[in-house]
Order: sequence, then C-alpha cells, then structure tokens
Amino acid sequence: MEIFRYLTDLINRVHYLQDIKGQDWRGAQYLLEELLKLKERPYEIGEKKLEEILKGLASRLELLEERAAQELTPYEIVKITRNPQRFTLLDILDNVYDSYTELGGEGEINIDPAVVCARAMISRRVGNKVYMHQVIVIGHEKGHGEEYRTGGSAKPWGNEKALRYMRVAETEGIPIHFYVFTPGAYPIEDYPGAAQQIARNLYFMAKLKVPTVAFISEGGSGGAEAIALADMRLMASRGYYSVISPEGAAAIEGKVKEGQRPPRELIEFCARQLRITAEDNLRFGTIDRIVPEPPLGARRNDYQFFKRLRYEMIRATDEVVLRTKSLRAFRSYALRRQKEEASPPEEFDLYIRWDLSEIEIEKLLEIRSKKYRALSSWAVQEKKSSLKSYLEKTHDLGSRVYHDVRYGVLKQGQKMIQRFMEELSGEGAVILKQVTEPLKVAYDLLAVKRRPRVRIVSSEEQAIEEMGELYVSPLALEDRTVTCPNAEKYGCPDLWVPDLYGEFCGVCPNCGYHFPLEYEWYLRNIFDAGSVKEFNQDIASGNPLGFEGYEKRLAQARRRSGRDSGIITFQARIGGIALVAAMLIADFRQGTVGVAEGEKFIRACDRARVMKRPFLAFIHTTGGIRIHEGTLGVVQMPRCTMAVREYIDAGGLYLVVYDNNSYAGPVASFLGCSPYQFAIRSTRIGFAGPRVIRETTGEDIPPDYHSAENALRRGHIQGIWDRRELRKKLYQALLTMGGKNLYYR
Amino acid sequence: MKDRVLIANRGEIALRIIDACHQLGLQVVVIYTPGDEQSLHVKRARQEGLPCYRVSSYRDANDVLAVADETKCTAIHPGYGFFAEDFRFARRVVKRSNPLIFIGPRWEVIRDLGHKLNVKRLAYDLGIPVIPGTISPVYSELEAEAKAEELFYWQEEQKIERPRLLFKAAAGGGGMGIEEVYDLDQVRSVFRRIRAYAKRQFGDEGVVIEICLQDYHHLEVQLLGNQYNELVHFGTRNCTIQSIGHQKRIEVAPGFDPSYTHYPFDAEQVMQKIIQYSLKLATHVGYDNVGTWEWLVTRDGKAYLMEVNTRIQVENEVSACISRIKGKKTNLLVEQIRSAFGERLGYKQKDITFVGTSIEFRLIAEDTKQGFRPLSGVITRFEYPEFPWLKVSTHVPSDEPYRIPTEFDPNLALGIVWGKDTREAIERGKIFLNKVIIQGKTPQGKPLQTNIPFLKEKLGEILKF
Amino acid sequence: MAFDHQEINKLLQQLRANPYRYHVVTTPHTGYLRAFLVKEGDKVIGPRGKWLEKPGTKLFVLERERNEKIIRAPLEGEVYKIYQNLLGKFVEAYQPVVEIRHALTQEEIIAEILQRTLHIVRAPEKARYFLAPQLAQRLEKKGLGQVLIQPGEEMLIMSFMKRETPVIHQGKPMVVFRIFFSRQQMVEQGAPLLGLCLPEEVPYIEKLISRVKEEWPSQSA
Repeated sequence: MEIFRYLTDLINRVHYLQDIKGQDWRGAQYLLEELLKLKERPYEIGEKKLEEILKGLASRLELLEERAAQELTPYEIVKITRNPQRFTLLDILDNVYDSYTELGGEGEINIDPAVVCARAMISRRVGNKVYMHQVIVIGHEKGHGEEYRTGGSAKPWGNEKALRYMRVAETEGIPIHFYVFTPGAYPIEDYPGAAQQIARNLYFMAKLKVPTVAFISEGGSGGAEAIALADMRLMASRGYYSVISPEGAAAIEGKVKEGQRPPRELIEFCARQLRITAEDNLRFGTIDRIVPEPPLGARRNDYQFFKRLRYEMIRATDEVVLRTKSLRAFRSYALRRQKEEASPPEEFDLYIRWDLSEIEIEKLLEIRSKKYRALSSWAVQEKKSSLKSYLEKTHDLGSRVYHDVRYGVLKQGQKMIQRFMEELSGEGAVILKQVTEPLKVAYDLLAVKRRPRVRIVSSEEQAIEEMGELYVSPLALEDRTVTCPNAEKYGCPDLWVPDLYGEFCGVCPNCGYHFPLEYEWYLRNIFDAGSVKEFNQDIASGNPLGFEGYEKRLAQARRRSGRDSGIITFQARIGGIALVAAMLIADFRQGTVGVAEGEKFIRACDRARVMKRPFLAFIHTTGGIRIHEGTLGVVQMPRCTMAVREYIDAGGLYLVVYDNNSYAGPVASFLGCSPYQFAIRSTRIGFAGPRVIRETTGEDIPPDYHSAENALRRGHIQGIWDRRELRKKLYQALLTMGGKNLYYR
Repeated sequence: MKDRVLIANRGEIALRIIDACHQLGLQVVVIYTPGDEQSLHVKRARQEGLPCYRVSSYRDANDVLAVADETKCTAIHPGYGFFAEDFRFARRVVKRSNPLIFIGPRWEVIRDLGHKLNVKRLAYDLGIPVIPGTISPVYSELEAEAKAEELFYWQEEQKIERPRLLFKAAAGGGGMGIEEVYDLDQVRSVFRRIRAYAKRQFGDEGVVIEICLQDYHHLEVQLLGNQYNELVHFGTRNCTIQSIGHQKRIEVAPGFDPSYTHYPFDAEQVMQKIIQYSLKLATHVGYDNVGTWEWLVTRDGKAYLMEVNTRIQVENEVSACISRIKGKKTNLLVEQIRSAFGERLGYKQKDITFVGTSIEFRLIAEDTKQGFRPLSGVITRFEYPEFPWLKVSTHVPSDEPYRIPTEFDPNLALGIVWGKDTREAIERGKIFLNKVIIQGKTPQGKPLQTNIPFLKEKLGEILKF
Repeated sequence: MAFDHQEINKLLQQLRANPYRYHVVTTPHTGYLRAFLVKEGDKVIGPRGKWLEKPGTKLFVLERERNEKIIRAPLEGEVYKIYQNLLGKFVEAYQPVVEIRHALTQEEIIAEILQRTLHIVRAPEKARYFLAPQLAQRLEKKGLGQVLIQPGEEMLIMSFMKRETPVIHQGKPMVVFRIFFSRQQMVEQGAPLLGLCLPEEVPYIEKLISRVKEEWPSQSA
C-alpha cells in the first residue's frame, strides 16, 4: 500500500510542477503519462519491479524539480502561491499551533468562510519545560478548492469579523498572529463596504494595544492590508505581495478588453516589473523577514516547513515584545536568533512572556508608528537644498511651539519650549537667533502669566462673507451646448456651456447632475481669496521600482499637469477658519497614490496636528494606489492611516470630501477611516470598478452601484453636497463638527 | 431695414408682434410646437408665407436659437412668459458668438429687477415705499420672531384692524410657499414650514416676512426707455379684479378715475406719486425697454412698490388705447421694438397725452365657481362683434373647431374696449361681453364653461374702492 | 369579469397574422442632420442590459448649437425606411427620419392582451401623470399584482395646465396589475394609464399570461 501512496504522491508532484511551469515543460507530460500508466495496472508488474521503476522516475522528477526551482520566474511564484496544494491557514492552525478554537463560524457555516479567526495555543519548549502562549489567529482561508471560501477574498463582513476579534485580543491583552492568504478583498459595496471596512481595520490596527505579527503568503493589495498592519511582517519565500495581480496589471497595461485574457508574456512582464517576490519586498523594506520554504514552495503536508513557521512566529512575537522592554535585551535576543538562521534549533533557550505593561504598550505603539512612518521613506524624492530643508525644519518646530503656546495648556507649553530648545541646540546657532525672535515674545507673554488668546469659533457667527471675483473655468469659454447625461431620464434641456461652467458651476439646473470641473476651480472658489498657500511642492513622484517604460509616462503627466505629484497640500482659510488641506488631483495620473503622494499627505496631516488646525482631504479624483510603485504604493495605506489616526487622537477634525471618482486603496485606508466623509453630488465612491467586480464576482452590477446616493444609503458617507454650496457646507461642517471643542480635546 | 425678428412666442402676442414688425417693415420668423398647430399665429404665418418652424418646445432656448441662426434672424422677440424675463436667455442671446438683439431690457436689468427682494432693497435705498417687512431673507427662528413682533407692533400703531403677516420663501414667486400669520404664537411653526418648503423647492432656506396688506388696489405704471437714457411713462393701469390665484382678469387704464367714483384719498396725487417713484427706480437702474412697475395702493392712499415686470405685458394694450403720441395712436410693441433696435424715441413726455378709459377682459375657459380651475376641450363656436371701439386679440380661429392646448396659459382671447370716459367704457364692455360667444365641449362631453359670467358680474366693481 | 377565451384567441390570431409594428424615429429637436449611421435593411437593437444600461444602435447624428447628438434606436427591429433627402439639411423638431419595423415581442403581446382584459384606467386629459406618492411607495415595496387599492383612494396625479389634480379610484377594491405610462411622458387623452383587476382575478390573468408565453416563446430566450 505504501508504494501506491508513493505513486500518487509522485503524480501529484508532477501535476504541481505542470501547474507552475506549464503542461509540456521539459517532458513533464511524458513523465506524467508514464506514472499514470503504472497507476492503471499496478498489479501486473509486481511490487518490487514497481518500486524500482518508481525510484527511477522519482529521480528524474527530482532533477526536473531542481531545474524548475532554479528557473522560477515571478509569475511562476504567483502560481505556486495560488496552487491548491499549497498550505492554507487551517493547515497552519493544525500544524503550527497546539490547539485552537474557531471563532465566528466554522467551515461553511460562517460569517465569511474566507476569513478564519481562532483562539489558539502555541507552545515552546525550554529545556524540559513546555510553555503555552495564548494568541488570537486571524487570517484568510483559501481552502483547497472549496467555492465558499471565495479563494480567500474577504467579504466586507469578513473583515469586520476580523476587527471584532482584534478587539477581543486587545481586551484580553494577548498577541495576534495575522495570516494573509488573499488575492484581494471581495469587491462589493454592501454594508459595511469593502473599502470602508478595510479602512476601519487599518485605523484600529494603527493603535492596537497588543503585539501583532503578520505572515504573508499571498498579499493581494488592499485586501491584504486589512489584516497586515502589524509590528512585524514576515513573508513566505514563495509568496507574493503585490499592489495588483499580474493579470490585472497586464489587462491595464495592455488595455485589454473585458472578457479577454492578456498575453502570457505581458503577464510575465508585469509580474517581473511589479517586484512582487519576497526578496524584492525585503529589499524595499515592505516586509521584515522571509520565512524560507522548500525551493518549489511548501505544500500542505510539508511538516518541516510548519516547524520552521512555528519557530519564526514565536521568534517574531518575542522580538516585538522584547523591543518594548529594553533595547539591550532585544539586541542580544536578535543576535542569537540570527546565528541560528540556517538551521533553527528544536527548542528555544528562554521563555518570554507576551503580555505588556501600560508603559510597554505605549512603547509598542510608538515603535509601530515609527516603523510605518519610515516605510518607503527612502524612496521619497525631494528637490531641495539642505539649507532649505533645515530652514523648513526650524520653521516647523517654530510653528509647533507657536501653536502649542497658542492653543495648548500653559504648563505643557512651557515644556514644549524647553524641548524645542533642546532639539535645536545641536544645529546652527546663527539661524537659530532669527527663528527664535518671535518665539521669545511668546515666551515673554507666558512669563507674565497672561492668558493665551483663544480664538472662539461661535456658531452664531454670520454666514460667510461674499466672495470677490469668482474664478470661471476655462471650459466655459466656448459657444456650444452639451447634453446632460440624465437628459433622457429627467428631460434636461441641452446646456449652454458658458452658463453651465459659469453661473451653474458645472451643475445641470434641471436634475442636479454635476459635470466634472478641474481642480483649480475648487482651489480658487472654495477657499478664501488669496489664502491658499501650498507647501512641499518639491516632493516628486518617481519610479522606485524601475518599472520599464514608466518614466516616459511620468514625464508626460508632469508636462501635462505642470506638477510633480498627484497631490497638492496647502494651508488655506474658509470663512476665516484656517485649515490644512490635501487634494488628490485627476490631472496627474488620475490622482493615484504612490510614495510621494503618501509622504505629502502624511506631512500635511502632521502639519495640521502641529498647528492644531482642521485637516481637509479633498479628493478631486483618485484611481487607487499607483500600480507602478508596487507594494511601495500599497504601504502608503497603513502609513497614511497611521498619520490620520495620530492626528485624530490628538484632537483634530479630519474631513474628507469626494468629487468625481474615488476608488480602491486610498478609500480603503486614510480616506475611508474618517468619521466625516462627504461626497459632492454625482461622484462615485467605491472599492473596485464595475469591470473588476464583474470579473471577480461574476455578477453584473447596476450602473449606479457606486453612486454617492448609494454610498450614503450604505452608510459609507455622511452626506451629499451640492457643488454650488460646497463652500458654505464646508464652513458649516467646520463649525458644527469642529466647534469650540475641536482643538482642545 | 433688412432685419429679421424671430418670435419666440405663441398665441395672440405672436400675432401682435407680427403686426408690429410689419408696421416697422421687419421680416419675421415664427415657431410653433406640434400641439399648437391650430393656433392662429401659425395659420397666419402659413397664409402670408412667413418662415414657420416646428420646435420641440417654446421653452427650448437651443431650438429657438438654432432656428434663428438657420433663418439668419437678427433679433428675438420673447413676448411675455417663456423667455421674456429669463436673464440667462437674454444674456446668451447677446453673448453668443453670433449675437442677436434681444427685444427687451439689458440682461443685467432683467436679473436685478427680476428678484423681488432685490427690487425691494433697491427701492428702499432710494426712499421708494415698499411693503413693510424684511429686506433680506431671514434664516433663524429667533430673528423671525423678533421681526414678526416688530411688524405686528407697527400695524397696531397704524391702527390696522386684524393685523396679519405674510411669510414667503425668499427665492419663490407667485402663490406658492406663502402663508398668513395672525398671531405671534404661530410664527415659529409657520416659519419652520416655509423654511422647509423653501429649502425643498428652491434650495435656499431664506424666508421673507411682510405685513399682509388688506383692502388694496393693484396698480401698474407703464414705462418705456431706451439706451439713450430717454424714459417716458404711459400712465397707470388698474388690475385689481383677479382670480383666486391672483391672476388678472380685468385691467383698466387709467389706474383711478376720480370723475367716475369717489376715493378716500387724492387719487390724482397717488397716481402721480407712483409714476414719479417708478421713474426714479427706472432711472437708477438705467432701464432701457418697456416695463411695468406694480404697486399696491391701500384705502388710506398709501402706495407700496411690489415688483417690476421687465417685459411687455398682456395688458399693454389698455395703456396704448388711452395714450396718444403727438396725437397719434400708440402701439407699445412698436415702441418696444424700436427701442431695442437702438432708435431714439422722437418724442418727449409732454408729447404723450391721455384720452378716455380702456378696459381689457381676459376670456378664459375656466370654472370660476371651483377655484378658477382651467378647463380643456374643443371650442366649436367662437364669435365676437365688431365695433370701432373694440379690439379682440386672439389666437383662436373662428372658422374651425379649436382644441385648447393644455400645456400653456389658458387665455383664449382679450377683449379691449375704449370709451371717452369710464362710464362709457363700462357700458361698451357690457355690450361686448353680451355679444361674444364661446361655445365648446369638455373632454367629458359637457358644455365648456367660460369666465364671461364672472367678468360681467365684476363690471360694477371696476375702479371702485 | 369572465374572460372570453374566444375573443382572446381571435386576438392572438390577429397578432400572429401581423406581428409587426412600424416605429417612426423622429428628431427630438431641431438641428442639422449630419450623418446616417445605418442603411435600409440593417438590423438594429434597442437599449439592453438588466438596467437597460447598454444603449441601442446608433441611427443618425443631429447637430444643434455645436452639440452633436447621436440618436439611437429605441427598440429592436429592421431599418425599414430612411429619409435620405434630409441628409445635411436643417430639420425641424419631430421630423420623421428613420422607420423601424419591429417584430412584437412576447412582452408586448402580453401588454396588448392585458389592455383588453384588465380594467383600464384611461387618461381623462392629455397631460403628464404620476403615481400618487403613497401608491408608488407601496408598489415599490410589494410589486405589481400585489397592491390593493380601495375606492376613494388616490391613484394618480394629473399634472395639467400647471395644476395637479388627483385621480381617484372608484368602484370595488382592485389590484394594480400593470402600469402603462412612464414618468414625464405626455399621455394622450384616453390612453391607458393603469390596468386593474379584482383580487380574485389575479390567478386567471396570470394563467393567461403563461398561456401567451407558451404560445409565443420569447425570441431572445
């Protein structure tokens, strides 16, 4: 019997090889046929003879496998990751953990079978003693071909389930092990909404008060991030972590029509260019460590691998915990583990408790914040002299003190000033004098104990004063008419373009349809005249992956828009209320977010926090994460969400206003996490576009699926605003949601 | 002149514009909609071989302008209703790459005087009396209450019995979104209701509070101006006899006639006063075409400016009938078109004289007993007498059945009589109303009712306080 | 109401003898007819998709005030006639441009038959009509064939001569089975607005419909 199992196993291995390298790869098919022949008539040959034949075939197969492993292309790695023979989360729960209880459903009877949550025990032996650690395991379950698992694509409520058990872990103070096995989130908008729920998860994970470790096997963009903002991110050596599936990228790059498959070469090209392998991701810093697998990937019965994974999970958790305790202890631990890297021992030489004290939790969160803020920062391109950046730094510090003094409590303010002096002392003294001049005045004021002047924003204040000369869109300068898209439904008359883009602000007066307007219109007409002051315009979008052919398109975007990135960050006033704003614009690569955009957003968010001003994210359009920046783009999701979380925790008011089209990553992170999201009428908001929904779910969606009305109905946004009233509405929002308490929580 | 005018209107006004244009030697182009093919203006255009185009709607600016371009028109006459007071249309006509003459005031004037509150503010600044109330929209409940209290107090001071207030949507017009308030306790609930209505209907929550005038006459002042700052008036009209929904039914010129009936105030003086005030505002805005200033005159002889109509009105003919320019009969449409084409007046105020009284009756198929409900149906017989002192202006043919189109103003005909004094004019009005015959059937097969009995009933009330 | 099966048979026979309707596509407004995008004999299709989100075949280009508008086929059929003489000319509104010969579909046949079997509420005037808000709400919730209206209840609102007049249901309580008009549509006097039936008739009518479906299999299926 043993021999038949061996035979079956060999057949499976050939199948696996064929799945990865293709049917006819180097005689694989011939080998398979041979094996199948044997399987048909095993008794005719006799056990001994069979064993001999099999041995011969097995060594041929091994040779082939070795060859295959040497020549693996990134796309073949994707195929390994997706293979039904690959280990899944349930295999890990069975083999890595000692025992576990599934939470929130089992198998098909489940909130969402694509997401598995479990309370699990993981043990370590130190000498003769066995220690048990309690953890919560949250991850995607791809299953081995079961349809109801939707291939590990978490539904919105699946991610909500994940969030619920993160809360449980926090309450109980036990670490979380995240396992990412997803090609991407299931792109439907039903409540709580694909994008919105991922955003909420990220927002929560940013300050989750327990150690977290994530292990990535298949990291499909936003879906992966929903459970991947962790203190330590491990990745399987034959896993992939990418902004988009290679097929999806190829469809976009090749402008392939719906329903058609992009050519294999193009998919291979994209898989290569997107830098999706574990090595690439480690090099770019988007993951922390690689968990080695066998050369052709670990399969579900690869016990050696599970042992290694157990070791790595315990090690990673230990490190996260130790880092919060003492740097020295952490260093010595890390050093010891590094030495074992090649062949990890059976047992650990020490036991580390995984619970944290209050102070350690604070430290944990600080380290996490630093970790994410530093991600991808090497890729930021800033065209700036060092003197200028130094000046700006002092200016930032200066303004921080100024605003702390102005808004902060007296005592705290004095502390701040002390810290400011310390921070500056190491740098040039000449410049210091100039910058401190206005500061001393503030300081003097404090010394005589005069109360800082507080700006009281009262709701009784009169409506916004009339604007001066209004900006009229250049679109209006044409004597012709256009047809409203709703003409058939509501009988709208054709609109005369000068009226439409002039007096009507691009709004059909009959049905209220909003025609798109350029971002300049908003810059000029929403904010107080002359109050817009841009900053950080020097941070430019680059090509950190070295994506072939992308430089050219980037240059084109730069030329066409006259800008260096898809985001504008600025200070401005609305009706006298000063605020900081970030605006993603359609003109530069459809407002997609990459390293530069993320960095500028974070800096704007921080500026708002320092200056204690409301922060407005105005989304003229965003097409998602810029795929040409790969996972460096994806990590802008946790990064920016971290900044937003810290801004809101510091007492800030974060408003998001959507216009035109807002999809994918940004909505699923730093936009969707705002408690106050509004949309201008006729905008579309969602996670994935109609085509992607059709292709992943197989279901067609109504044309108004992503409309602002439906987003409101699903609770994704808080209101729909008319463009003509935008200025007034924003002003009101700043008063009602900000009010007197805004800056003093 | 080789100028050509597109008439962006229908019915009797289209016919009168054709006449006026012929008189001035202008060519015309006529438009119509499929439901309106029987209208006399279309028939006449066909008979006379005038260019005549079918459009999707009289309200479709794009069609109107497309036809104007196609037929190489140089001017557009909007008539009344439709585009007459649409400043956007007027603006488009003159601002487009092929600009045309808009026969009406400058678009800025239409815009500024088209907004009731704005007129009120302008008038108030010039010291012209307006109905006591708020000049700017009220948004808050507290403010509304304070204003209401003030206005009740003011009325008590004036010894007005049963003082009342009107709450209106600031952005609205006509009879919609208006409520009366008798008591301070009602203010909050009414204010909320109107504000909600205004928000729903017009997107602006502003509410206007005014005192509700009682026992007043509705007077109008007819003005004519041009781009050379020449400005004259054609006297006053009285339009007090109206339907329930404040739609005019009988108009008389002059506005008051002290030789016919007694007024509790000096009527001549009041008429002079409102004319002078109207001229003042017109001069201030640089009014440059025909226009009507509407006034309310209360029993104590006080006059309040209500609104300005920046167009030719239905009832322009009664003013024309009693005025003579240098002794010759007046045609206000002719004067309007001349003004728009940039001609000088050629006469002064002192050249305009007034003679007799003129009354206009609007004949409408409506159920005067049931809230003046408009009726549709087919008119099978339409006959009217002919007299030198009578002018009937109508688009309804008398030689074949006519189906009343449902999508327009329900006016069927205007009967305008003239008499050397008011008594004679009323007598002649009676003769006209007795002789005119309108018969027809409703879709249900019942005889078609008209407002003729109502008009007869009201003859005795003409010009009387 | 007893159904006269003979009459229905006769009706079906008639329809079978002439299963076509000729639909004239007219210009929605004035403008220059710039181009024809179909030829005589071409097959055209109307709007499709679950939400009719895919527009019909392009028929011709009409340009007005520098706005080129493509007029599309409203229904499926064959281009029967094209008014070639209009090409390049300025045309008035509602000018016939293309004629489409349309084979009646199962659904249209059902509508035709329903119009003869149901109690039809006809338009009292040429006007625009709306469902009474309350009824519209109930219909949206429960669907056609499920909502009972009581005598004295408002069914429709007639918007006519700038006024709105309610149309009130008279007679026995009845079920709303079909709606024959659309929003914003100008309904001719006497045209059917609603099809009603007694609650106990619902099963009969449904049976009738399934009979038509059997005898007249839908072509698209």
